[in-house]
Amino acid sequence: MSTKTIELIAAPKAPHFVGDGFRVHNFIPSGFRLDMERMSPFILLDYNSKFHFPPSEKPKGVGVHPHRGFETVTIAYKGKVQHHDSSGGGGIIEEGGVQWMTAASGVLHKEYHEAEFSKKGGDFQMVQLWINLPAKDKMSTPKYQGFANNSINKYQLEENQGTIEVIAGQYKDVTGSASTFTPLHLLNAKINKGGKADFDFPAHYNTALLVIEGEVKVNDTDTVNLDHFLLFENKGETFQIEATEDAVILVLSGEPINEPIAAQGPFVMNTREELMQAMNDYNMGKFGYLED
Amino acid sequence: MPENFKAYLKNSWGLTQEEVDRLKNFIKTKPVRKDEYLLRQGEICKMTFFVEQGLLRFYALNENGKSDILQFAPENWLVSDRGSVYFNEPSHYFIDAVENSTVILIDTQFIDRISEISPSFRKYNERLLHNHIRHLNKRVSLLLGASAKTRYLDFVKLHPDVLLRVPQWMVASYLGITPESLSRVRRDLASKNFGVK
Repeated sequence: MSTKTIELIAAPKAPHFVGDGFRVHNFIPSGFRLDMERMSPFILLDYNSKFHFPPSEKPKGVGVHPHRGFETVTIAYKGKVQHHDSSGGGGIIEEGGVQWMTAASGVLHKEYHEAEFSKKGGDFQMVQLWINLPAKDKMSTPKYQGFANNSINKYQLEENQGTIEVIAGQYKDVTGSASTFTPLHLLNAKINKGGKADFDFPAHYNTALLVIEGEVKVNDTDTVNLDHFLLFENKGETFQIEATEDAVILVLSGEPINEPIAAQGPFVMNTREELMQAMNDYNMGKFGYLED
Repeated sequence: MPENFKAYLKNSWGLTQEEVDRLKNFIKTKPVRKDEYLLRQGEICKMTFFVEQGLLRFYALNENGKSDILQFAPENWLVSDRGSVYFNEPSHYFIDAVENSTVILIDTQFIDRISEISPSFRKYNERLLHNHIRHLNKRVSLLLGASAKTRYLDFVKLHPDVLLRVPQWMVASYLGITPESLSRVRRDLASKNFGVK
């Protein structure tokens, strides 16, 4: 066993709006060295750092759009998101909750600030991750896994140091709430000031963390500030996070899917032909229909 | 060197690698921010724009003050008010960026240079002009006589990805139909191909 070494610590880039409801810093795949291959199976990470939205009668968000070939994971730290899809599905992601949507063969959906949240306004903080699917599962049937915060499996750190929410994968003896197609770990580490937590993932897994609240020290050496992203080299297995303030850290680690990636807009496939097919299917109504 | 433009020089304007190399220093690129104009009504259009990356639109304002989109120009498309350039007269049209884009500026100087360097350029360019006229004739014919569905199907064949990149009202404007009519066409297709009621 050896300690994971740090490859880079990235400050958030200037934010941009996705639709009019998500003010995000993109960490994956644009910029830094974090292209889709480098962080596979995590192929996109958009981070809406804490941002105050004033009250709005018309909920802000992103209009109807399709996805194919991967999963989207939305983690709501502050605020609430409402979504609808073309198969008639829909729901609300509550504060502290997670929605794991397997778009796979195709979903047409829209995402907005939840109506009541929108009317009152308030702090909004979210992560949206795209997790790639292996070729054999890209055209599987779409599905949802939704978790309110109280249904996410948790590991309590000793001596009241904090809690690890195991969204997917494993932490110590706690198994994650969500099922995944390839081996990966997705954790929300909520560590109290002065608390420490140890992590252990295979060296070849792509591993990173994002500081959602507070400030932390990694491996006793490197300070990672609020809203900053840390990428580990693919060397060593273990690392330690120490909270220098009360902190929330999103920890991602997954086995890379070593297959070609052909990505354009909302589709992530293996070949150019599959991308063209996805566009054609979308244009021909094969993703269904949803009113904007 | 902009990769898309390099491929275009070879494939559509018939330049050899050696000719491309000689032209390299005369290529002018320009970043264009979303919503930025490259041409406004009343100005004289001085050049053609090649879209290296991004998406432009070419449109006119109609009598009701709404935009009628004549052309979308995604990657590898040329866009210009050719009439304004050729006749040196004020344009009726606008060209702006729908996405952050990078364009190559094809002005008279560049055309002179490429004509000097490549003996085949004028022949290829004439072919492109006729191809453009053929495209415009088809557009007019579809706008005069085709159903909304036929226009839509022709559009997605020509531009498979543009529907994903622009708001639906822009596509409706290009097709000369109302946004409601476009929604109806898409709903009917989904009904046939996805089983939506």
